[in-house]
Amino acid sequence: MNRREAISHVALLLGGAFSAPTLLAMDHLESRAAVKNATVVFELNEMQRKIVAEVAEMIIPKTDTPGALEAGVPDFIELMLKDCYRQPEHISFNEGIQQLKTAGFLTKSLAEKTDFLRRLEEDTKEMMKAYQVQQSKMGDNEDQELIKVQAKGLPFWRLMKELTLLGYFTSEVGIRSSFDYVPIPGKLEEVKLKPNQKMYAY
Amino acid sequence: MNLNLVVDKTHRYNAIVVGSGMTGGMAAKELTEKGLHVLMIERGREVKHIEDYDTAMKAPWEFAYRGKVPVHSAEELWANNRFGTLANEETGSFFTNDKHNPYIEKRPFDWIRAYHTGGKSMHWGRQSYRWNRQDFEANAKEGIGVDWPIRYDDLAPWYTHAEKFVGINGNKDNLEVLPDGFFLPAMPMYSPERHFSQTMMKKLNRPVVIGRTANLTKPQPWHTALGRATCQYRSKCARGCPYGAVYSSLSGAIPAATQTRRLSMLHDTIVSEVLFDEKTQKATGVRVINQHTREVSEYFADIIFLNAGSMNTAALLLNSKSNRFPDGLGNDSDQVGRNIMDHHLGVGANASVEGFEDDIVYGQRPNALYIPRFRNWANDKQTEYMRGFGYQGGASRSDWKRGVAQDGFGADFKKQITQPGKWNIGFGGFGEVLPNPDNRMYLDAEKTDSWGIPMIVFDAAFGENELAMRKDIANSAAEMLEAAGFKNINTYNRPEVHLGLGIHEMGTARMGKDPKTSVLNKYNQVHACKNVFVTDGAAMASSSCVNPSLTYMALTARAADFAVSEMKKKNL
Repeated sequence: MNRREAISHVALLLGGAFSAPTLLAMDHLESRAAVKNATVVFELNEMQRKIVAEVAEMIIPKTDTPGALEAGVPDFIELMLKDCYRQPEHISFNEGIQQLKTAGFLTKSLAEKTDFLRRLEEDTKEMMKAYQVQQSKMGDNEDQELIKVQAKGLPFWRLMKELTLLGYFTSEVGIRSSFDYVPIPGKLEEVKLKPNQKMYAY
Repeated sequence: MNLNLVVDKTHRYNAIVVGSGMTGGMAAKELTEKGLHVLMIERGREVKHIEDYDTAMKAPWEFAYRGKVPVHSAEELWANNRFGTLANEETGSFFTNDKHNPYIEKRPFDWIRAYHTGGKSMHWGRQSYRWNRQDFEANAKEGIGVDWPIRYDDLAPWYTHAEKFVGINGNKDNLEVLPDGFFLPAMPMYSPERHFSQTMMKKLNRPVVIGRTANLTKPQPWHTALGRATCQYRSKCARGCPYGAVYSSLSGAIPAATQTRRLSMLHDTIVSEVLFDEKTQKATGVRVINQHTREVSEYFADIIFLNAGSMNTAALLLNSKSNRFPDGLGNDSDQVGRNIMDHHLGVGANASVEGFEDDIVYGQRPNALYIPRFRNWANDKQTEYMRGFGYQGGASRSDWKRGVAQDGFGADFKKQITQPGKWNIGFGGFGEVLPNPDNRMYLDAEKTDSWGIPMIVFDAAFGENELAMRKDIANSAAEMLEAAGFKNINTYNRPEVHLGLGIHEMGTARMGKDPKTSVLNKYNQVHACKNVFVTDGAAMASSSCVNPSLTYMALTARAADFAVSEMKKKNL
């Protein structure tokens, strides 16, 4: 390997850019299209919904700004899994919930829950190595992820974390409370960041 | 503004323009402004400027999937979806349903289509560059493909003509590799980008410039006269720009043509063949099929401009058979459908930037930096491949999305990722593709589409030259980022990219000097059928590495000028 090649391929553990979920299963030429089964409906039961809601709120809790629950994140996660992901992710997501259920997650103390999710995150990083996540861009500089397709769906924690962040930071509650929302900037200029200044959202 | 001007009952016009996209729009504008009555035929649905930009003003939370692509949409728009994000809720309606409009892939080809008023001009990347002198001379010098029948000086005034009308922002950079033109004020570089640009010039003697795009930074009177206004820096261009700041056929050329009152338009009308008169050896008109009723009718004109998009234009020629042209109109050379080129992309590098932490940006820049070709240019000689590539990219401050890759969760995590993160910087290459007659599309002998028109078969792939260039694109990007002192450098070379994904597909009815080896002459006239002009990407004899739309528009305006002068001389 020459020096030029050596500076490439930095491994990203949980992932880098936000993933485009259907890239995982997009190409009608590729083998994964065989996994296609639009007829299978993904739906969570009440117990599963409670676990998803609890984990989402632990990722983005209510602080001086609203948390994941107030932003409607749990419903968003379910919708996204149902409509934007295919069976492999449905299975891995359900397996992850089952793991939490078996461990009695909902009855644990906050400290125990936190500890549990920390360990889950560490385990997930190990699992994600197989996906060889790379950041890339296509066309006009749009961040995308290149993920090596695996038969098994993306791990529960990775899905929970990315969908919670996406759901929260694109919700009206999340955007208006976290950022300075300027849908029509009207101009483009560099400015100096002031102390405690919020980021702009568009 | 009424785009559906009544179609003449006699079905007779001075000119027919097939397609309403980037070049169809320009052809209709030029021809109507020169006094011709023009019928423009669009195969897809009608989109009304502003009125039909359904998603233009939506807030992020008004999209159920927040910009991601749902599975059902991915299946309907399978080819579009290979790009990754085109089939989403924001822009999906400006891409064509691939399930209803399938094509055959002998080898994989990413054919991304836009069947509606304005075609792909509705969501183009807007990067607009002139070709340089060498781009027109290289084929002859290197013995690749056929020589261009024109040179830079033939096109230069038409570049200016197109730039003025379209409204291109940029700097005069005084570079031979990237000729200057008529520019509106340039957009700014950000502080890490200025650092990068200065360092590259100092250390590697490589210019890094701000991109040149078709967004109005300072509208001129002729822009305002068409209802076009200043860019609002939302960078939501591909949803349709409600300010008309983005140039599209729908914001610029079609309104200009409409103002002449000499434009008629048909939508939902598929041109199935060009009609040829054996007696006069000229085309007389076109046969069309109504997309919905499937009713077949014919329209007639003195001249016909084919601007259906490179692949469909070639398909239309191939499907127009006559005694004189048993293999398709103008296909004496057997070059129609061959030499498919594109720009290969999805390869580059990115890095994180230390410092500049006090700097943020207000507004979103619908533009990027441009690093003009430096390979096989001036004193640089590569042994692994011919020609070169340009990079597009730039710096941005990371936002909450970095949280996905970051350890942790909870209150501190939330607070931290809400604040501005480090600057990141990245560049992706756009590489020249060489013409190769074996990279081709043709019509299937048996299979037809829903309208009884033979289906297109693609049989094309990147060659060794492109693949070798891709390695260098990734490595050179990493080297430049390293030379600028950036950290965490990561290269990528997406393996799933095929010809077509650059959405710069071209070359299927090339211009040339010799009718034996080319389809069109130096004025984009079909060699053996002089009243048919092809001025979309099909006309290209080589691909350069710069984005092609500006060149297509310049060629179109030049050909239209020639066509009208020939009509006046009674030569057509």
